[in-house]
Amino acid sequence: MSSPTTASAATSRNWANDKLFLGLSIWDYLKSLATPGNFIAGLIMAIGLPLMAYRFIFGLGAATNLSQTNPWGIWIGFDLLSGVALAAGGYTLATSVYIFGLDKYHAVVRPAVLTGFLGYLFAVLGLAADLGRPWNLPVPIVYSFGGPSVMFEIAWCVVLYLTVLFMEFLPPIFEWLGWPKARLRAVRMTIGLTVFGVMLSTLHQSSLGGLFLMAPTKLHPLWYSPFIPAYFFISSIAAGLSMVIVESALSHRAFQSRADHHADVDGIALGLARGASIVLFAYFFVKLQGIADGGRWAMLGTPYGYWFLFEMLGFILLPSMLFAYGARHSHVTLVRWTAAWTVLGIVVNRLNVSVIAMNWNVPDRYIPSFMEVWISITLVTLGVSTFKWIVNRMPVLKAHPEYPDSASH
Amino acid sequence: MIPHDILTLYSAKMLEYGIAVLFLFLFIPFWRYVQGPAKAPALATATSRTPVATAAEWFLTPADRLFHRGHAWLMGGDDGLVTVGLDDFAAKLVGPLSRVSLPAVGASVGQGEQAWRLMAADGRSVDMLSPVDGTVVALNPALAASPDLAERDPYGDGWLVKVRPSRLRANRINLMAGRAVHRWMEEAAAGLRGHVAPGLGALAQDGGAPVAGMARAIDPEGWDRLAATFLLTAEEGPDA
Repeated sequence: MSSPTTASAATSRNWANDKLFLGLSIWDYLKSLATPGNFIAGLIMAIGLPLMAYRFIFGLGAATNLSQTNPWGIWIGFDLLSGVALAAGGYTLATSVYIFGLDKYHAVVRPAVLTGFLGYLFAVLGLAADLGRPWNLPVPIVYSFGGPSVMFEIAWCVVLYLTVLFMEFLPPIFEWLGWPKARLRAVRMTIGLTVFGVMLSTLHQSSLGGLFLMAPTKLHPLWYSPFIPAYFFISSIAAGLSMVIVESALSHRAFQSRADHHADVDGIALGLARGASIVLFAYFFVKLQGIADGGRWAMLGTPYGYWFLFEMLGFILLPSMLFAYGARHSHVTLVRWTAAWTVLGIVVNRLNVSVIAMNWNVPDRYIPSFMEVWISITLVTLGVSTFKWIVNRMPVLKAHPEYPDSASH
Repeated sequence: MIPHDILTLYSAKMLEYGIAVLFLFLFIPFWRYVQGPAKAPALATATSRTPVATAAEWFLTPADRLFHRGHAWLMGGDDGLVTVGLDDFAAKLVGPLSRVSLPAVGASVGQGEQAWRLMAADGRSVDMLSPVDGTVVALNPALAASPDLAERDPYGDGWLVKVRPSRLRANRINLMAGRAVHRWMEEAAAGLRGHVAPGLGALAQDGGAPVAGMARAIDPEGWDRLAATFLLTAEEGPDA
């Protein structure tokens, strides 16, 4: 019997096929997932997710090498600190386009905002894994207001900014769902959200550095500086720009059928490289200022000093020069490799501050356990898979056909 | 640091100021290096063949050209050369041309200096100014056979010369682009209307489009002087 119920069931099945299974039947869709990339991702998660469950069931002591001396490991240094820094492309690009009117970069705002959102989301998941009592995570938001605490400020900023990033990403979600009115309302919020987003980012990117102001005796003097909040903020800009260069190159290659072929990806990469080059150049001198201010010159001759110099010259000055050369001579390949190198450099910096040069004078050195490393890799894989899932469905890399100007919102 | 070692503090401060000054000095050349050669940001390239023409009042002003106040335009190319021509205003002002007298290949031209001459059918002529400093490297070969190309298609096949610019960055200051062109062209059109009937103000509201040889239509006797006034070459004397 044909009834309205049957009809609506058919409609909802069509909707699911269309929106979730890319217009394929469930069986065809599952078959389309059998790719080498998905196999590797599946393998990582098949091991990683049970490990995560293990960590939550048996606690930090059983799963990690963290101790009272070394309470912060790679979940903080890599997943949280590096994740948040590399997610800075969201606010950097949104501000460049919506506040400073650099329309050339419209084509990469959506991927940058999505990368930002997922970066923060998985940073928070990493934090939840790291906290001894993760169920207390909402406490600073709900009732325990520790006003003078840097942690309190970071907690609030991250909660608010994660919300802002989600709201900034609403237009493509509504375009995907086919809700034009809701989309229009979301688009109208763009400027306000961007302004709010850049304020929040300035606050917490620097506050994450500010955390280490409380550990002047634990952090190696070459990395410790009263300017460390400024270091974190400035380097986050270079990190965000480099991440957008890397991410746009990879996604325009991986999602060729979904990408806008008219977008000048090379021109955008060169423009971003120009910005990153100048930011890194300034960052180098600000870091130098920290050495002069602290009178740390003599320490440069020690093993930690060599490592510090390697970071300064290899991961800051060198990419700054390579970006400059690449941008001037329109050498896009060089720019992309430099961006990847800079991303690595930022990760190294955050790990230096939070793990490698932390507790440098204590005999009990921290080395992450296998589970910590695998869970970190699992979180990154989850992030990349989510990015892929969204880009395959929503208008991220190119405008929705019904909203031709939508790449600008 | 020992807290009371005041001299150590001073030397550290000195060093910090030194680093700050060094940074500022290095930043300027670094910035210039990163931004690349001067021509890249300033000029659209000749590959953008279809200009988006906007009508400022009556006259077309393609968005991909730079304009000089003497009613000449220029556009950069991938080869480091710039193409130069006269704008729609100059073309319509002077009207049917019998010949365009161009500088020789290898000749130097200077921004704001007389560079070529438009000859009308009645034997009178009007000089025009070069929009750029440099050396002439090519002339438009089509103009010798059909000089009216410069008037019919001033932004396309009617280009005049190709120039190797010598100081484009400095010249760029005296060139207009975008909305500035629009405003300037409107002023020029308003000035033209003032000449149509100086005592009465604008009289062109009937929708009539300007015809070739506007200057002659306005002042058959002294049209060349009038045209030279608009093309900024009238200072040399009444017969220029």
